Amino acid sequence: MKKMWLSVVVAVAFAAVVAGSALGEEINAYMGLSPENNKKVVDLVREKTGIQINQTFQSFGEIEAKVKSEAPNFNADMVTGCGSPLAFMAKKNGWTVPFVSAGWKGISDVYADPEGHWFNIANFSFVLVGNKDNLKKKGLKMPTSWKDLLDPKWKGDIVMPSPLSSGTANMMRFSFLALYGDTEGWKFLEALDKNIHHYTRSGNAPTDLVGRGEFTLGITSDENVKARIDKGYPLIWSIPKEGTGYDGTFAFILKGTKKLDTAKKVIFFLGSQEMSSLLSGIGYMTPRPAPNALYGKTTPKYIKIDLAKAAEDRPKNNDLWKSKFRTDFK
Amino acid sequence: MATAGDMTHTGSSTAIAGVKDFFNKNLVKILAFSLFLLLALFLLYPIVAVLLKSLKGPEGWTLKYYTVFFTKSYYFQSLYNTLILGLINTFICLVFGFCLAYMATRGPWWLRKPLKIVSLIPLVAPPYLFALSLIILFGRNGFCTKLFGMDWEIYGFDGVAISQCLAFIPLAFMMIENTLQSLNPNLEESAYDMGASEATIIRTITIPLLTPGLLKAALLIFVMTIAEFGNAAILGGRTPFLAPDTYTMITGESDFEMGSVLSVVLIAPCIIIFFIHNYLLEGKKFTTIGGKPVASEPRRITPAIMVPFTLVTLISCGAIALSFLVVLLASFVNILGVDNSLVLTNYFDFTTNYAIYNSIRVSFIAALIGAAIGVLLAYVIVRGNFFGRTFLEMVSLSGFALPGTVLGIGYLLAFSAPPLKLTGTLMILALNCVFRFIAVGVEAGISKLHQINIEIEEASADLGASFLTTFWRIVLPIMFPAFVAGFIYTFMTAIVSLSAVVFLVSPGFDLAAVKIFDAAVYGEIGIASAVTVKLVLIVMLCMATLHYITKKTQTGVAQKGVF
Repeated sequence: MKKMWLSVVVAVAFAAVVAGSALGEEINAYMGLSPENNKKVVDLVREKTGIQINQTFQSFGEIEAKVKSEAPNFNADMVTGCGSPLAFMAKKNGWTVPFVSAGWKGISDVYADPEGHWFNIANFSFVLVGNKDNLKKKGLKMPTSWKDLLDPKWKGDIVMPSPLSSGTANMMRFSFLALYGDTEGWKFLEALDKNIHHYTRSGNAPTDLVGRGEFTLGITSDENVKARIDKGYPLIWSIPKEGTGYDGTFAFILKGTKKLDTAKKVIFFLGSQEMSSLLSGIGYMTPRPAPNALYGKTTPKYIKIDLAKAAEDRPKNNDLWKSKFRTDFK
Repeated sequence: MATAGDMTHTGSSTAIAGVKDFFNKNLVKILAFSLFLLLALFLLYPIVAVLLKSLKGPEGWTLKYYTVFFTKSYYFQSLYNTLILGLINTFICLVFGFCLAYMATRGPWWLRKPLKIVSLIPLVAPPYLFALSLIILFGRNGFCTKLFGMDWEIYGFDGVAISQCLAFIPLAFMMIENTLQSLNPNLEESAYDMGASEATIIRTITIPLLTPGLLKAALLIFVMTIAEFGNAAILGGRTPFLAPDTYTMITGESDFEMGSVLSVVLIAPCIIIFFIHNYLLEGKKFTTIGGKPVASEPRRITPAIMVPFTLVTLISCGAIALSFLVVLLASFVNILGVDNSLVLTNYFDFTTNYAIYNSIRVSFIAALIGAAIGVLLAYVIVRGNFFGRTFLEMVSLSGFALPGTVLGIGYLLAFSAPPLKLTGTLMILALNCVFRFIAVGVEAGISKLHQINIEIEEASADLGASFLTTFWRIVLPIMFPAFVAGFIYTFMTAIVSLSAVVFLVSPGFDLAAVKIFDAAVYGEIGIASAVTVKLVLIVMLCMATLHYITKKTQTGVAQKGVF
């Protein structure tokens, strides 16, 4: 009798555990804005369309690696936030389901592929952040030029993301290469490397690390800067005089999805004014104009960038990066 | 022992009618064969997939990836760091674990219970909890750093080594304590009565008798230390280690070839140690005869032993307790080191609840399947009599020697394309946990079966019971404790382990351990701490419930089974 009772308990528990939650319309997506911004987008989409986006946050670089390794058997229905290298690669390799969405009507070609292979929901940039307390304690000032970062006084006190895993860092790299030219650009990166404490996995991580005072300076994605300052982190941010680079946050439907209609509804909504307003309120540059929380009315100075070339050069530059910046045997 | 059992079995079976026996024996073989197929598919095939990937370039078979590995000094540094870390940690964990276990089994009564509780808590927490606590205390803006004006850099080898030690001392303690408890204290006591000093007793009696337990603990800790990469990834800074490098290589660059090479290199020392361990244990499986193990009376421990052992105990328990306390506190702090006001916002971040729920589901399914397969495997290994029995035993116990990262990548390589496409499901996470931790259930089952004489089963068969009846009425009740042990171990380890599943999570099938790791790497200490606390509480609750259920049912089953 006891044994039977036990099996009943186990069976019931098993059933309860396996059953799981049955929600309404759901879709699985790769999404790499930042954990908290992912959540904001997911919440808005659910609120306005009733669709639940299941996502797990990863860096742009990681999403790129994942989609590349899974092709053509993708484990998600769509991508709702990745960098330009993956978006262009996906279009070229035919990994996307093209779809010209009415929701994106009137938006410029910069933000939406005319053939409907990808949609850029927002541009973001990188900025220099400093920890006010640390700067004050050390009697130092925020650098005004990127070249100021090469000063030995910053040695071991700067963090930036790794271009191997982070799309933001990839953007930094191609921006500096565009700004200084290939040869001088690599020289700049090599000199900068001497002052970098370590390279973080995600493009937003330096914001938190510098905000908590672990390090004094960080080159970081602008996505979370506003939110951290509002929360009370002693952060100061600036764009040095040479300007900054930019990359998009791309969305597209992955081939093989069984939820094409749901995916189309999501794409439709991503082009709406509401979505642009949300992202603009965080500090992104959006396809539909809206008041920008980080930059206000000013437009930051941009380095001239060819995103297609940057995407093409990425593998080559990764190899070069690895050969230059990895610790040698001591 | 197993051979003796088999011989009796064959001997008596010729006496009884042969037909039923033939059927019965083949049933065991069929069972063994299907279990082997499962192991081959979910344990061997993924590893072979990794090996093949490391040898295959776009143009066919090649050794070029290995050439890259062995000619680039960066990788060499990574390998060197990994091995040194593994050796240092194994040594420290064994020494500390032994001291703790000695105090917990031979020391004064009042010390035993608290010692056990404190040193076992970390088993229910993710190992990289200690990286969090080190950052909170000794980071550049850490509590101690500011308080004492310290200038100690935790981002590097030291930090990783300390956090890994703290994370795995409890495991060493648990395993050594288990063995110590099963040693009959009479031998030590008689040596003591005859005037041997305590140091001599420890050196000549306790440690030699403990060798099997120590070796097993050493193997497990070495493998865990070099594979569980949470601490290294969070605290490593620019110090390279193989496991986190593999992780970046796969998740950041999708460089599966190089990632596979790193995995093969990582697995090599583990396999070597596995074989050394097996070799050393050949013929060394002594038990002290004398009935059931009894808790030994507290003994007058000489100061020469008492002082260093107590010191070690205090240091490790203190550090562990402090780490938990610090993480608990950090989970209530608004912005650590900046705005230290107490808030609850970290707990009201519900985005991770889904992941916690998934973690419990995965661990529960894995534990159930794993414990069942483990018990069945143990049965066919001990009672079966078929070609390849030793091989089956070796394969099922090899899980001890497999670094999690390797099995994670193996699953990714083996099960990402049709017809065996499992990636992007919950099941791949559960299956991975089942076969990574199956060795524990198998081993518990084997040792249980060795304790039970085959005569009961034979008596049942002689009285006309079919194989299935015998199995159901006799064997299963006997094996129930082994099932529970396998279940509990798999459940606990699966829920906090990171190194394999981190490669296999997909949108909608996220796990708490991965979420905590992400938050920690990201620098969101508050969120990471809060999710850790939630997870620890839930695991403890689950364990308490399990404990209650088994206690309620076990007595009933045991009585029914044996009498």
